[in-house]
Amino acid sequence: MIDIKLNDDGVVELSGRLDASQTDNAREVLDKLDKTTVIDLSGLDYVASAGIGILLFTQKRLAENGEKIIFKNMNNHIKDVFKYAGLDQIFDID
Amino acid sequence: MAKERKFARKINSLDSIFDFIKSFINENSIKGSLIFTINFIIEELFTNMVKYSTESSEDILIRLDIDNDSLSTILIDTDVNSYDITETEEVDTTLSLEDRKVGGLGVHLVKTMADDIKYEYNSNKRQSTITVIKHLE
Repeated sequence: MIDIKLNDDGVVELSGRLDASQTDNAREVLDKLDKTTVIDLSGLDYVASAGIGILLFTQKRLAENGEKIIFKNMNNHIKDVFKYAGLDQIFDID
Repeated sequence: MAKERKFARKINSLDSIFDFIKSFINENSIKGSLIFTINFIIEELFTNMVKYSTESSEDILIRLDIDNDSLSTILIDTDVNSYDITETEEVDTTLSLEDRKVGGLGVHLVKTMADDIKYEYNSNKRQSTITVIKHLE
């Protein structure tokens, strides 16, 4: 299961597992973003390509207006996946 | 020791699949860090079968097997057309954000994570078998 929430300070907290069965839940929040946003992944254990797809879609949409996603606290497994996909060059990963 | 189970051809089978993998990993004292990789590989292959072989109503068989120092992950999909994932085009991971397409990364990532992948198709049974080998560290 995925848990995603947009905090009052504008930071998005994404935790749990972002697999192919959870992408609709994540999109409900990600589609609302319209400015540069920090997404805190400290509670995210797992992401599959379907999850990466919605994050990439959001990044492309924000970039049309010069905005972007900034990831914080990404675990090493997910960092490896982003690296294998060349996405470490496309996203800001703190 | 091998373990296998059939799963209904739907995305919502993923939770049951993850439980199945976790159980196998624990029963065989495999390093826990491998769970992420095995979950990822199986999810990508399983969801591809669900999305692209819509003509079949057969369950998909997943088998996990340890042989010496490697873990074999086998997915068997029945009543489907042949689709050899080992022959798919390479993904250009150097493209800019503007030139990137959303989607299409799953097979690329499976190939990157796996130590070996084999594809077989039995035309009499209309059955695809994908075997992914991952060496145990």
